[in-house]
Amino acid sequence: MSVETESIPDLSSLENPLQDPLRFARRIPPCAVVIFGASGDLSKRKLLPSLYRLFYERRISPHFAVVGSSRTPMSDDQFREKMKESVSRFLEDSPFDEDVWKSFAEGLFYVAGDLTNPASYDDLKAKLDNIEKTRQTGGNVLYYLSTQPSHYAEAIKELGAHGLHQHASGWRRVIIEKPFGHDLLSARKLNEEIHKVLDESNIYRIDHYLGKETVQNILAFRFGNGIFEPLWNRRYIDNIQITAAESIGVEGRGGYYQEAGALRDMIQNHLSQVMATVAMEPPTIFDAENVRDERAKLLRAVRVMKPEDVHKYAVAGQYGPAKVGGQDLVGFRQEPSVDPDAQTDTYAAVTFFIDNWRWAGVPFYIRSGKRMPKRVTDIAIQFHAPPLGLFNQETRTGAVREARPNLLVLRIQPEEGISLRFLSKSPGSGMRVRPVSMDFNYGSSFGERTPTAYETLLVDAMVGDATLYTRQDMVDASWQIVQPVLDMWAKTKFNFPNYASGSWGPKESDEMLARQGHVWRVP
Amino acid sequence: MSAVIFPAQPEQILKGLGKLWTQLGEQGKTSVLRACAMTLIVATDEPDSGYMASQTISELVKNHPSRGIVLVISEAAEHDLEARVLAQCWKPFGKAQQICCEEIEITAKPSAWPNVGPTLVGLVAADLPVIFWCRHHAALRRDARAAQKEGLAAIVDISHKVIFDSRGMLPHDALELIQGWQKQHRVVADLDWTRLTAWRETLAHLFEDAGRVTPLSQFHSIEIEHCEEKPSLAAFYMGAWLSAPYRAAVTFREGRGFGAGICKIILRADDETIELARVGVDCVKLTSDKGLAGRYNFGEPTLTALMTEELAIAGADATFDMAVRRAKDLAEAY
Repeated sequence: MSVETESIPDLSSLENPLQDPLRFARRIPPCAVVIFGASGDLSKRKLLPSLYRLFYERRISPHFAVVGSSRTPMSDDQFREKMKESVSRFLEDSPFDEDVWKSFAEGLFYVAGDLTNPASYDDLKAKLDNIEKTRQTGGNVLYYLSTQPSHYAEAIKELGAHGLHQHASGWRRVIIEKPFGHDLLSARKLNEEIHKVLDESNIYRIDHYLGKETVQNILAFRFGNGIFEPLWNRRYIDNIQITAAESIGVEGRGGYYQEAGALRDMIQNHLSQVMATVAMEPPTIFDAENVRDERAKLLRAVRVMKPEDVHKYAVAGQYGPAKVGGQDLVGFRQEPSVDPDAQTDTYAAVTFFIDNWRWAGVPFYIRSGKRMPKRVTDIAIQFHAPPLGLFNQETRTGAVREARPNLLVLRIQPEEGISLRFLSKSPGSGMRVRPVSMDFNYGSSFGERTPTAYETLLVDAMVGDATLYTRQDMVDASWQIVQPVLDMWAKTKFNFPNYASGSWGPKESDEMLARQGHVWRVP
Repeated sequence: MSAVIFPAQPEQILKGLGKLWTQLGEQGKTSVLRACAMTLIVATDEPDSGYMASQTISELVKNHPSRGIVLVISEAAEHDLEARVLAQCWKPFGKAQQICCEEIEITAKPSAWPNVGPTLVGLVAADLPVIFWCRHHAALRRDARAAQKEGLAAIVDISHKVIFDSRGMLPHDALELIQGWQKQHRVVADLDWTRLTAWRETLAHLFEDAGRVTPLSQFHSIEIEHCEEKPSLAAFYMGAWLSAPYRAAVTFREGRGFGAGICKIILRADDETIELARVGVDCVKLTSDKGLAGRYNFGEPTLTALMTEELAIAGADATFDMAVRRAKDLAEAY
């Protein structure tokens, strides 16, 4: 039976007329994902479980393939077996389904090879050619560099030399894990090397913090509501505190960590991007280029410290031994593979000032540390106190206790959500006020499972949406703002350790805020 | 749950809710968070289905916090119109705070239909959307009594979105209802369309690749196998949705499957045939003579899953509206 209907709109001009964006998850085109460093931890714990989860939810096209590559010799079947073990172990909040796995595993392949050996890329090319025919991937390939950072430039050079960086009809994109460079100069050099082969539009520098739902929600909160944006400036905001605390130490990564430190590991990348998200101007259109333009503009507006100001605006710390909860915890210098005289910062706190019309004079305090009292990441926006302290309380000594709150807290993890803390009258006679909290809890308001940051970012890269990836100018700007601190700290002999495990960091950090008339809040 | 509130006047019910929250605050050792993002009215015609609706609401509110109003209109009711209020509470795993949503259960005799609308008007949560899930089968029937039709219309009047389930209904009757509500500018959802999402998404994914050897435009015929003797509205929806872009020919035939609904979909082009068939209660198999194959784990979605999907869509659904229009043509031509 054939029916002609005049009332139906013409759908034939649409790219895929069967697409239903209201109900279907975002479209992921057919493609192959090549993971360099496939036997590494990231691949086992995050990447493969994320890809499996996307397949489980039928979000990946049936024309997909994953090609693992690392030095370990393995057959396709051995790789499948190994990944099955990892996925079933590290899959979060999801069941592992044997039938789904069988179907998923048909798309898994493996190429053994050394990134520094050009012959390995010939093998990869042959494999990808074959996969393109058998799995109908359309020549689309997403390379994921999950290897040692020192191999990034060489791997991309070889992809170029073997013609793997482009395709007649498909796209080729490269995801690059952090750290992107070790300092400003090395980041610039790496960018130069990569750009010899790839166009910026095909480079996806991953910062998994930007893939977190709650970080994305900052934009929805700020620009989807008209309530707070008028207050989001120097006239109403006193200071902003960004905290990323971990209760654990270096957990066997001492060798790596003593070369990195908290400033490089957290503040240069994750937290500077979070700061940019909190402070950026609204984009005119919500697309990758406009959002990234605004983030980059913000980072460029951050005042670069003069060397003589570093001691005023930045504090380094390193945890020492302590007994916490009946457990003896070693100091950083006693951790395995760590130099007993290490000068590494396991805690860093920096005061940034953003020299633009909106934020002039508002300090942004950013701190990150290991072995803190608890694991918490949040952003606290402290509004100015009212002009008259009508409800300030006088203490017995005659001192005036300021009635505080006026605080908005964006909680990134755990207990993801937003809290507005304000003063309320206590019940009863007399005008006593006390702080109360109005809470939005992400988990309880949206009961559904939220995708992991890697799921979000992998999908984005496959669909070509770079909004949550960092661009060259953003990386450059974020290195510029920490470089004077890195340079000064490299020349300083610290008297470490200067804070005990299980504390909120060194006293110098409290003093840094006290100089501005502020105190760190306790998250 | 509160004592029976009779007569069930909005003021009395709201007072009952107020008391309930005070009690919750006093009882709990942990703090209670009151959550509400919409009013969800569920009308049913059987006391048992009222209980089931209440159970479904207790699941739904975890994803879509709402003020639930369960309206049971049945001969078995004791009074003309009576109400109870209760809270659906849960504590998210590992969290100290209890989250609660309020629920109002109204039981009425059929003679009370004219009072239902005016009662509900005073009970909907302020400034939030009102979603009406109609499970009152008698009121949906073509031969429903005038009082039922008027009572139903009064609830539709205060609702932004009307959700019903056409499964088991004659396609023509269901389409007439949908189009009637659409004329009143209500967003309409049919859960038998919602059941098709997993099928549709699987098929849509196949045509994501612009360079696909056989594009959708070349599939000139579509065959829908349905498990019932005659095609249901869901079968017409599927045929409508698949054939709309290029006006492919659609045929329907009875097939063997696992329960109700669609059991197989075949898309034919000159050089490729794609089949998507249910091969198990929870398993669907995709095959193509171009070598493509895959298995997907979707079975019959639960009511909670269907409603969760629908409650996430607050505004108009252009794809559904298009499918309704074309399904009507297909059903008339069948």
